[in-house]
Amino acid sequence: MKQTGILFFPAFDWSLGDSHPEREERLLYTQEQLFEEGILDLPQIKQFSPRVASLHEGLRAQALFPTPGSYADTLDAHLIAAGSAILLGEARVRGDIANGFVLARPPGHHSGATVWGNRGFCTLNNEAILVNHLRALFGIKKIAIVDTDVHHGDGTQDIFYHDPNVLFISLHQDGRTLYPGTGFINEKGGPNAWDQTLNIPLPPGTGDEGYHYVLENWVLPRLLDFAPDLIINSAGQDNHFTDPLASMNITAGGYGRITELLQPDLAVLEGGYSIEGALPYVNLAILLALAGEDYHHVHEPQKLDRPVLTLATLKPYIQGLKKQHQTIRPNFTLQNKAFFPKGNWVYIPHNVYYDTDGFQETRQDYIRQCGHCAGTVYIESQRSPSLQKSILVRIPFQACPECEQAGYDLWDHLLHHSEDTTSALLQNQLNDKLSVWQRKEGLTQF
Amino acid sequence: MSNQVGIDVGGTYTDAVFIHDGHIQYTAKVPTRSENIVETLVDAFDTLKIEDETSINQITVSTTLVTNAILQDRLPPVELLLFSGNGMKADAFPWPVSYRELSGEIDFRGREIEPPDQREWERLQTFALSEEPAHVAIVGKFSHRNSLHEEQLANYLRQRNPSLRLALGHEWGKANFYRRSLTTYLNLGVSDLYNQFALQLQTAITARNIKAPIAILKADGGVLPLAKIRPIDSIYSGPAASVLAALTQAETTASSIIVDIGGTTTDMGLVLSGVPLLSSKGAQIGPFSTLVRTLAVRSIPVGGDSVIRATDQGFRLESYRLGPAYCLGGNVPTPTDAMRYLGLISYGNEQLAEEGLASLLPSDRRTPQFFYELATAVIDTMVERIAEAVDSLKREWQEEPAYKVWEVLHPHETQAFHTLVSGGGARGITAALGKRLRTPVQLGNFPEVSNALGSAMARPTFDCTLQLDTYMKRYRVEETGEQGQWTGSLRPYLEVEKFLDGLVQQQATRYEIEIQDVEKEPFDFFPIVKGYKTVGQIVRGAAHQRPGVIGRVHV
Repeated sequence: MKQTGILFFPAFDWSLGDSHPEREERLLYTQEQLFEEGILDLPQIKQFSPRVASLHEGLRAQALFPTPGSYADTLDAHLIAAGSAILLGEARVRGDIANGFVLARPPGHHSGATVWGNRGFCTLNNEAILVNHLRALFGIKKIAIVDTDVHHGDGTQDIFYHDPNVLFISLHQDGRTLYPGTGFINEKGGPNAWDQTLNIPLPPGTGDEGYHYVLENWVLPRLLDFAPDLIINSAGQDNHFTDPLASMNITAGGYGRITELLQPDLAVLEGGYSIEGALPYVNLAILLALAGEDYHHVHEPQKLDRPVLTLATLKPYIQGLKKQHQTIRPNFTLQNKAFFPKGNWVYIPHNVYYDTDGFQETRQDYIRQCGHCAGTVYIESQRSPSLQKSILVRIPFQACPECEQAGYDLWDHLLHHSEDTTSALLQNQLNDKLSVWQRKEGLTQF
Repeated sequence: MSNQVGIDVGGTYTDAVFIHDGHIQYTAKVPTRSENIVETLVDAFDTLKIEDETSINQITVSTTLVTNAILQDRLPPVELLLFSGNGMKADAFPWPVSYRELSGEIDFRGREIEPPDQREWERLQTFALSEEPAHVAIVGKFSHRNSLHEEQLANYLRQRNPSLRLALGHEWGKANFYRRSLTTYLNLGVSDLYNQFALQLQTAITARNIKAPIAILKADGGVLPLAKIRPIDSIYSGPAASVLAALTQAETTASSIIVDIGGTTTDMGLVLSGVPLLSSKGAQIGPFSTLVRTLAVRSIPVGGDSVIRATDQGFRLESYRLGPAYCLGGNVPTPTDAMRYLGLISYGNEQLAEEGLASLLPSDRRTPQFFYELATAVIDTMVERIAEAVDSLKREWQEEPAYKVWEVLHPHETQAFHTLVSGGGARGITAALGKRLRTPVQLGNFPEVSNALGSAMARPTFDCTLQLDTYMKRYRVEETGEQGQWTGSLRPYLEVEKFLDGLVQQQATRYEIEIQDVEKEPFDFFPIVKGYKTVGQIVRGAAHQRPGVIGRVHV
């Protein structure tokens, strides 16, 4: 019998602050519920113990600015959550388990390609680190990430925006009504990965019926079409009707059905802050659904007594959204810097706000247009108000020789003209080599 | 001056030892009469021929009484009533017994979500509540957080039939509804049998004018007074006894792999820096998953008398015994014959050992070279099976789940193990086992009576795990099922330390245990937040006296 793996890491000694939603208590009642149900005793469930991810594993997906060393031990909990995702992902890919649930904190999906600190409770992106690990070591080609957290998975989107081999789908409460305020239908992917990002913003009040309708009529067909080797579910639980931070109407049973519809190879916990009213029940329903057990008997004590958006109202909205989605065409700006290797470079400037510590990151992203691979990525990132500038150069998985060379040329130029740069990362995914350069200490391999 | 008696009731024989100041003074061995364990115990005791019986300080018994009653399905009927609530359906598990589900639900904080339905209770008349004495076990999901429904139903039933034997699940105060239900069921089911046994044994010992207290060995390697132990805790004391026996012969802080080789089975345990490893899950007995705290042990069906069969590929080591080894007058070749042929042991007839091996080989290969190869291969096979079980034990230890950052960053250090082998075939596999496990191997002393020795030298274990919810103003003790009102502050600190100390004292008095070295776990404090304000704390803490022995035993 193929088992369902569970890695339960509640980080009972870690919080972002005494009364912060991301605190020790968050998975306490989930532990009470799972242990009292005795679900870990089911023969089809196998428990795993966590491990720490290495910085090498982290840097494969994300640049830690200004330097990895500047984070010291603030990364510990995050590295364990990421390592836990890797551990269970490896078990899945090796065939030791049929599917798995990484029930770990802290979460990660707001953490993007460049990191200056914690934002949206996330510092490291657990799913992204897992995905790039499986691609680097197990040669997995195509992976789909379906983000069912109520918030837009902007970090995950950022990391894979230019990657045609990772399909990123995010269903979330409309960004006009909720943090982080992104995830609109026109965000469809970079020049080499057009249509590999799908955002489905849902109106507040959406319930089980509407959510399942969107999954069955939009998400599942898209998945089928992409035919991934692996499906990862960023399983945020804040669509639950009791969540204090959002306004959706999903029930615990509804989450069971979401899991049943998606059939993910791996579910990875993201947000969800109704720690008593929702989490114990939602986590139980997800785990039961993964293990092929009946989840219909899971009922949260609180009744859903607020109006739920009817399917009749939602359907035309979704159909309109779908139509709008089809009409959006790529519209990129080309801009080459003098030292750029030959080719056409698409320029995408944008800002990222770090809510935890309250500062802004200014990003200038450049992507080499390429018909053969994901294309070289060059990102200049500044943490304001300081003028420190850090740079990420990415040579993607399966890079074509030209893009690989472009990456080396950019790196070489950077090392020789580093007057206004504080630090940099060469993220060579092709050869799984990660070099960090910093002004004071020079080059370090991770 | 200290005088200990240890008696171990085994499947075939019952062994006894008398230990005087760390030296074995007398030993005895009598056949076990499983139909009358009290007489067997008394017989073993008398065979010791202790001159001054009044000088005995303690008598400790390890008995298979309860284990056998469960495995042989000799329990009286027990009605199991469950408040199974919402969540995972009860029938997701394989229940070895029948049960009835009643409405009523409690949640993880101990709050009542749905009250029970009295009308359902009235309908309970239909079953044999009048049968004397009927046994009823009542268990609720989350009753370890709030015993309200269990108590309500118990009161209701008691009023209707005062002679009912009732057991309530919350007395097993650890999480796991399924295991708690079965544990409550079993403990109630064996209680009559056990109480009768305890009474008879106490009477027989008192009749000899012996005032020494009688203690019973538990699965976790600890002892409790005969009248205080919960009967189900006495299962699987045999393997615990062999681990304790090894402790009496090892350095106090050593890490050891304990291997006890019998005729048909080999038991294994792990000792880490002087402390036997406890299993993170409760004991499994037959089809019953329980909450019984137990040492992490492995038992495999391989022993000195395991049958060896010839096959096309060579031979197969079977998992059963058909009498003694060939070299000892048996009919089939066994690992003992291989050991005898190689000169690793000195008992048994050498010529017969060779004959036994020869019967496994085609006639053209019955030469010393092939005998030697075969005998070596047999021992290697046996050692391989043992080593695999040892590896699985070590994995259980190393792969214990971690729930805190600190635990993940400070994993178990790899220990320098040594192996302690005892039992009949021990000498024969010492070298091969050491090579395979890559540890020094030491031969245990007193292999004939090691379980009796382990029992005699066992000390009490003690665990007191506190769960305190200062917002709900309730506290619970896992081991006793005690639940009570918290009147202290919302954010206790030193207060909770003192509170736990008080509980420890009470519990020790209740169980008549002398506390020697209680070890406290650091407290976990979980701030409870409502509307961005901290309104209380959930506090978890525990104190333990780990399994161990009262002293060393010298040759």
